[in-house]
Amino acid sequence: MNALAPPRVSGPGGTGRPRPRSRPPLSWRRRVLVTLGGVGLFATVASWWYLEFSPAVLLDGTDAVARLVGRMLPPVVDDPGRTVDLVVETLLMALLGTVIATVLSVPLAFLAARNTTPHPVVQAAARGVITFCRAVPDLVFAIVLVRAMGIGVLAGVLALALHSVGMLGKLFADAIEEIDEGPREAVRSTGAGRLAVLVSGVVPQVVPSWIGTFVYRVDINLRISVVLGFVGAGGIGFALQSSLRSLSYDAALGMVLAILAVLAAMEVASVGVRHLLLQPSARHPRRDRAARWIFGAGLLLATGFAFAWLRIDPLTMVTSAPDVVAAAMRLVPPDFGLVGGQLWEAVLQTLAIGVLATAGGIVMSIPLGLLAARTVSPHPVLAWAARGLMLAVRSVPELILAVVFVAAVGLGPVAGVCALGIGSIGFLGKLVADAAEEIDLGPVEAVRAVGGGWWQVLFSAVLPQVMPSLIGSSLYLLDVNIRHSTVLGIVGAGGVGFLLYEAVRTLNFEFAGAIILIVFVIVYVIERLSGWIRAQV
Amino acid sequence: MSAPPATAVTTRGLVKRFGTTTAVDGVDLEVRTGELVVLLGLSGSGKSTLLRCLNGLHPVTAGEVVVDTVAVHRARPAELRRLRTDVGFVFQQFNLIGRLTCLENVLIGALGRVRGPRYGLLTWSARHKREALAHLDRIGLADQADQRADTLSGGQQQRVALARTLMQGPRLLLADEPVASLDPENAGTVMDLLLRVCREDRLTVVCTLHQVDLALGWAHRLVGLRGGRKVLDRTADGVSRAEVMEVYRRLETATGMAVA
Ligand SMILES: Nc1ncnc2c1ncn2[C@@H]1O[C@H](COP(=O)(O)OP(=O)(O)OP(=O)(O)O)[C@@H](O)[C@H]1O
Ligand SMILES: [Mg+2]
Repeated sequence: MNALAPPRVSGPGGTGRPRPRSRPPLSWRRRVLVTLGGVGLFATVASWWYLEFSPAVLLDGTDAVARLVGRMLPPVVDDPGRTVDLVVETLLMALLGTVIATVLSVPLAFLAARNTTPHPVVQAAARGVITFCRAVPDLVFAIVLVRAMGIGVLAGVLALALHSVGMLGKLFADAIEEIDEGPREAVRSTGAGRLAVLVSGVVPQVVPSWIGTFVYRVDINLRISVVLGFVGAGGIGFALQSSLRSLSYDAALGMVLAILAVLAAMEVASVGVRHLLLQPSARHPRRDRAARWIFGAGLLLATGFAFAWLRIDPLTMVTSAPDVVAAAMRLVPPDFGLVGGQLWEAVLQTLAIGVLATAGGIVMSIPLGLLAARTVSPHPVLAWAARGLMLAVRSVPELILAVVFVAAVGLGPVAGVCALGIGSIGFLGKLVADAAEEIDLGPVEAVRAVGGGWWQVLFSAVLPQVMPSLIGSSLYLLDVNIRHSTVLGIVGAGGVGFLLYEAVRTLNFEFAGAIILIVFVIVYVIERLSGWIRAQV
Repeated sequence: MSAPPATAVTTRGLVKRFGTTTAVDGVDLEVRTGELVVLLGLSGSGKSTLLRCLNGLHPVTAGEVVVDTVAVHRARPAELRRLRTDVGFVFQQFNLIGRLTCLENVLIGALGRVRGPRYGLLTWSARHKREALAHLDRIGLADQADQRADTLSGGQQQRVALARTLMQGPRLLLADEPVASLDPENAGTVMDLLLRVCREDRLTVVCTLHQVDLALGWAHRLVGLRGGRKVLDRTADGVSRAEVMEVYRRLETATGMAVA
């Protein structure tokens, strides 16, 4: 749910522009690929063994899932007025969190971009802050903030904001680094001051990309804000969790459907916004300006409305800073000793869940993604059905899937693997489908021309072309899944999340600090590693 | 305003290095107020670098640069900014911000005169907007004021860039191959416009050009660079084409081998 856009996702406009780079020699690439495959396979088997994952559990689970689904139907909405209130609250939290993150990210991005930073040391520090925000999962921020400032939307909004800085700051800075220096030099040559040069020479060039990133992030944050309530950070999540706890699954489904409706509406709205703002027509400059105005004014109004509706005094954004810092200070010095062996076991479990879920996700996503690609799919109806399935899966937060699987297969890591694995198809399946639709059709025709059938086309012309993007996306998926598996424990689906949640609940802050540090290191190492691997293949 | 000094630009022993490359190598130059000097030379001979040293876009490595009364080589950032408001710069690649309208691009020229940053038309006063429109009108593009800059042709874009420079109200104009990315017809139009405007406003002009014929037709004085050194400096009166073409002779090494 939360993360950076990987290369070539349909995410923010134009950030994934391919740059010419010198590729390492082929034999090296092959060796890296083979090693990668071997390590991946080994890790998968080891995780399988470690988690004692058995298909039998799943088969038993099928019955349970069927029963569960039976109890969900028909969905009911107990109290429509309250549900609408909660949905609006959730939506506004997502919006406000993103707006605050944007306000924080803009200056940070200027400090972090190579071509606008005042000093390399400042640049490194700013990049470090951004990476930290990305590596600490949103729910971890939420858990700590709820403890620091009490249950409620404020903690949720701030958690969203802080975690979003990790993505917005990075993509904003990347956009700044990609500008054309010419206009900037022209502004400088008029004698404008430093700030004026940034505002007039840089900002106009990056605004389209920033808007794209912003809209994309609102979308992501909406999915996150649905589950923030699980840890008491406001929104519909709390009500959702209560109805799941009290086994009123029909009411839970009612809420999930209400959320899905909002998510679908958001999807449409963001397509509309992108179309209006990012693909301006040269012939209607006035219409484009009006569109920008309406968007800007609408955003401002919505932000004001969000503050009012959520009863957050905008000043608390400033006045709560000491609380946030105090909360952070209580996490240090991290104490690794308290639970000893239990901690390392939980960390291993988290890694194993991430690895196994990713392997399962890859196995399921490739066929589904290929079915969904217009260029490959045997039939258009099949393609639409597959696309629809992936979209539906993508809009259900992993934590909700985890709750469902905990109900089906019981507490423990197996539920977590299932939830993340299924969740992966919404993400990776879409990337596979997009990659398969973008391939060069020449080789496909060539294989057809020599009399190749559907399977031959697939293996000789399609797969070789989607392979590089598949590897990149899979690594990225691993990164995302490991990050998510650190919070699954909150709903009892295994991993280090349970210990973290307990540590904060029992005010064991130094221990929580140790866990957060470990999560940060793991996520950071995985991110670095996958970045390095992506550069090699 | 006090009477301008008789020399608008003076450089003494100007050197500019990029790492190990010496782009400008000990150039002495004097440009009198109101004069139109054309810099000639092969690609890589240091013309652009020399121009950029004049308004401090490149800090100089050694030597002196005095523009107006400001010692550019040791000016503090604030002084440099003040100087730049009086020095217009026209770029080969126009350097407009494509997404903004022509009017907004022209307004950028006034940034040096106002306090603080500006973003969007609303942040500019009506007086500034009127002035910018007048400049667009002068270069014949008032009708395109509301159009995005990247929808214009190359020649039109360079004219907008010229209007942006005029908006500064400069006394000295530096132009770096202002017509090199344009087709011959547009190049002629833009060059005519540039020179007419400069003459009307009595601007001092230092301009690099690749078209020798244009240079011979317009310049008061010709300065030739080769390998960062000045190899020609004379008034354009009665100069022969052959003499100018000598600037373009390939660099020769000590052994007499031609270096490409
Ligand atoms: N920013 C820079 N960094 C490093 N080297 C540079 C830079 N700018 C110019 N140079 C080098 O300085 C030398 C002179 O370049 P300059 O651009 O001044 O030449 P020019 O006469 O303007 O050429 P052209 O006619 O192609 O524009 C060249 O060798 C160039 O490679
Ligand atoms: Mg040049």
